Amino acid sequence: MGMDRRTFLKGLGTGIAVAAPGSSLLPSRAEAKEVVASKEFMGVLVDTTRCVGCRTCESACAEAHAMPAPDMSDAAMDKIRPTSVTQWTLVNRFKTDKGEVFVKKQCMHCNQPGCVAACLVKAMEKKENGAVTWDTNCMGCRYCMVSCPFDIPKFEYDSAFPKIQKCSLCWERLVKGEKPSCVEACPADALTFGTRREMIEEANRRIYKESGKYISHIYGEREVGGTGYLYISAVPFEKIGFRTDLGTTSYPEYSKGFLYSVPIVLLLWPAFLIGVNTITKRKHEVQNSEGGKR
Amino acid sequence: MEGFIYSDIFATKGVEYLLVISVLLLFIPFWRMVSRPAKAIYQATERIIPALSEWFHLPAEKLYYHQGHGWAMPESGNVVRVGMDEFAQKLVGKIDAIQFPQVGSKVTQGEKGWSLQAGSKSIDMLSPVGGEIIEINENLLKSPESIGKDPYGQSWLFRVQTPKVSANMKNLLSGALARKWMDGVRESLLSRMNYNLGAVSQDGGVLVDGIAKNLDSEKWDDIAREYFLVS
Amino acid sequence: MNTGIPAEEKRNFKDIVAFILSEMKPTGKLITPFNVISAPLIILGAFLIVYRLVKGMGAVTNLSQEFPWGIWIGFDVMVGVAFAGGAYVLTFVVYILRSDKYHSIIRATVLNGLLAYIFYAGAIFLDLGRWWNITNPLFGNKFGANSVLFLIAWHFLLYMLAEFVEFSPAIAEWLGLRKLRKILGSLTVGAVVVGIALSTLHQAGLGALFMMAKGKVHPLWYTEFIPVLFFVSSIFAGLSMVIFEGTISHKVFSDQISHEDHKSYDDMLIGLSQGCAVSMFVYFFAQFLIFIHGWHWSLLNTPMGYWYLTEMVGLVGIPCFMFFQGARYRNLLLIRTAAILAMIGIIINRLNISIIAFKWWIPFSERYFPSWMEIVITLAIILTEIWVFRWIATRMPVFGKPPAWAEETH
Repeated sequence: MGMDRRTFLKGLGTGIAVAAPGSSLLPSRAEAKEVVASKEFMGVLVDTTRCVGCRTCESACAEAHAMPAPDMSDAAMDKIRPTSVTQWTLVNRFKTDKGEVFVKKQCMHCNQPGCVAACLVKAMEKKENGAVTWDTNCMGCRYCMVSCPFDIPKFEYDSAFPKIQKCSLCWERLVKGEKPSCVEACPADALTFGTRREMIEEANRRIYKESGKYISHIYGEREVGGTGYLYISAVPFEKIGFRTDLGTTSYPEYSKGFLYSVPIVLLLWPAFLIGVNTITKRKHEVQNSEGGKR
Repeated sequence: MEGFIYSDIFATKGVEYLLVISVLLLFIPFWRMVSRPAKAIYQATERIIPALSEWFHLPAEKLYYHQGHGWAMPESGNVVRVGMDEFAQKLVGKIDAIQFPQVGSKVTQGEKGWSLQAGSKSIDMLSPVGGEIIEINENLLKSPESIGKDPYGQSWLFRVQTPKVSANMKNLLSGALARKWMDGVRESLLSRMNYNLGAVSQDGGVLVDGIAKNLDSEKWDDIAREYFLVS
Repeated sequence: MNTGIPAEEKRNFKDIVAFILSEMKPTGKLITPFNVISAPLIILGAFLIVYRLVKGMGAVTNLSQEFPWGIWIGFDVMVGVAFAGGAYVLTFVVYILRSDKYHSIIRATVLNGLLAYIFYAGAIFLDLGRWWNITNPLFGNKFGANSVLFLIAWHFLLYMLAEFVEFSPAIAEWLGLRKLRKILGSLTVGAVVVGIALSTLHQAGLGALFMMAKGKVHPLWYTEFIPVLFFVSSIFAGLSMVIFEGTISHKVFSDQISHEDHKSYDDMLIGLSQGCAVSMFVYFFAQFLIFIHGWHWSLLNTPMGYWYLTEMVGLVGIPCFMFFQGARYRNLLLIRTAAILAMIGIIINRLNISIIAFKWWIPFSERYFPSWMEIVITLAIILTEIWVFRWIATRMPVFGKPPAWAEETH
């Protein structure tokens, strides 16, 4: 009896200690699944048939975010480059049988981002307008880097106060009603900005109107549950550096099974264990009372 | 979006079920085998404890066993013949001397009956019956080392007279109960066996006389006392 | 031999502080081979840790944008926590199933578990780029409860507390605090129950971390059942570590161990071996089942396939069979060898999922290999943990019997 009370008090104390900050864990809506956003997600349509590889978007991005100007020489495009801690976006050049194709690479701003599901301090957040942004309460655990299907977040290993660097969809500009810097800067009309819905409609329009020009697929429409950046192309996507094996399930779904089992285990295991403990207690008492050695 | 061809997402289910059933069937013998010592170990221990299987061939139906490893055989009249069982002798090994109770003295069932001398150690054993000592085995007194020859016959220890023969026998084990008890003793011995003993027995190495000494060369008398239920 | 201070009814704070200070003096020889090798490594590790904090992670590690997690996660945390699994398994056997057989080693195992979590899970601190924010998942109003790592962080903390409660009776005995000892003893079963539930989830959780690394972990290792596999493997990882560490401790602390405990040790080894054999049997066939489910036959005939077979057959199947035979033939040498092989198998398995089979297509020259500094820091952490273990075990009733006034009741 005494033990039960102490354990109860111990649990109660822990519970109270958790409840205060834990209130942030409560869903703000009863049905947390279907979130009706007050805003629609914004999206960017990238038409790789229009991109000429001028890389003005790269300079505009660097300038808008106080990053060093990128190397604008043609030789820089000789290799396929990943984004870096000083380059949130860049253009890669691919040689295909339809000629040179230029593909702008940056954070895809997924509908259900793996990085946001991974972040245990909510440093990675999906904003209401669709932008996926990073904040400085980050711990630097780099789990977002492990979870991103596109390997986008980049970490400042060489700094004692490292940050995660990635495209923020110019979120600060979006809230002012402006377009992202790269979209604004593009002279070839390769980047179109609007709601994601509008972008998909526009992409479909182009594919239908200029039949045969484009591959009949919008990359990002369903990949990993849908992304904010959408691509259309004249050549198959795997030829221009896209992974086509990512599936249509959003990445947070893959952890869902485990996470949902946690409360169940925390409920079932103690009940089972205490049950066994009680049963063996009777057996133990019986054994001890019989006494004697074998 | 691809996927306009039918793909069976449960294609492997049949094989999986078959696999699970086979694994479960395999698990049963696996569990049984891992839970107990291998046959070779049993056989090896039986070489060390030779008469393990012979205990089931109890020499006479009228033999009763005490849990301290003494035996009692009622004879005609109110006389009972008393001895120590083969296990006790094999456990202790070579006995240098036996301290018998005096003829005419009384022994009580379940209390000290006699004691064995081996080397510097002295180990008591409990008397399986209570009564008055009328005769002790003089041959055994003179040559105690011969006790191993015929523990249930020639190597009897002493004879007592008691009016309460059946009451005494009721407290002792015989027949199936005795066999069950011996099983328990054997299990307990097996669980004491460690690697060294197993290795020695497997290559037929030299065994020191007395099972207890093989289990623990220094504190073997404590082991013996544990089995003889004395302190 | 330690007996702590004899229990007195009244004991004031000053006495206790003075006692603890007096216990700081070394009890054994200072110049031993172990001390001579480990002390410089620990000191070097300390310097490197400061260097890492001042200069950033790039100065000390070989981590890259392609490989964000290295041996500090893949080895220190994932292997270390798996090896600490002996604590939850044995407390289950001793306190829930009430088996008398393992009572003599339960305290050492719990102590090891506690120290493992403090040191190896604490090593996460070094792996955090922005370590000053380490309290953010614990206090504050921005909890990423959607994250598996959030769960792991909380579980590690709560589990450390549960382990501490389980071990605290030994501390109370050492300090001679009778009443406290009684209170703490009554909390043991509760702490054990909580500890087992937490352990199940965070052992599985370490595997669940990689669920979102689909497409990066080689298909032979990536499965939705990684959490279950991590949980099952933590059972034999923990038991193998108990066998391995017990063999060493038994010799080092043999003067503390009573005669009966020495004798029962071989019996315990057989039992632990049986536990390993059964859990490895289940694990092996679970892996086989998952392989069948994925129908990855064509992948076996690749370098990664051979490596997979090496891990599964060579480092799971074979030690399983060795444990099986070792238990049946009571062959202690076979059991100890099996334990080492099983532990190597766990190390390889965790490293495979986090580093080796992670982005397996990247060529050798661009892959992650730990820097010497990462290795030294890892070694320094392990050695410091051993030093602390030794300090505690020589002073508190871990291997030796508790003082007579402390009655054990369960």
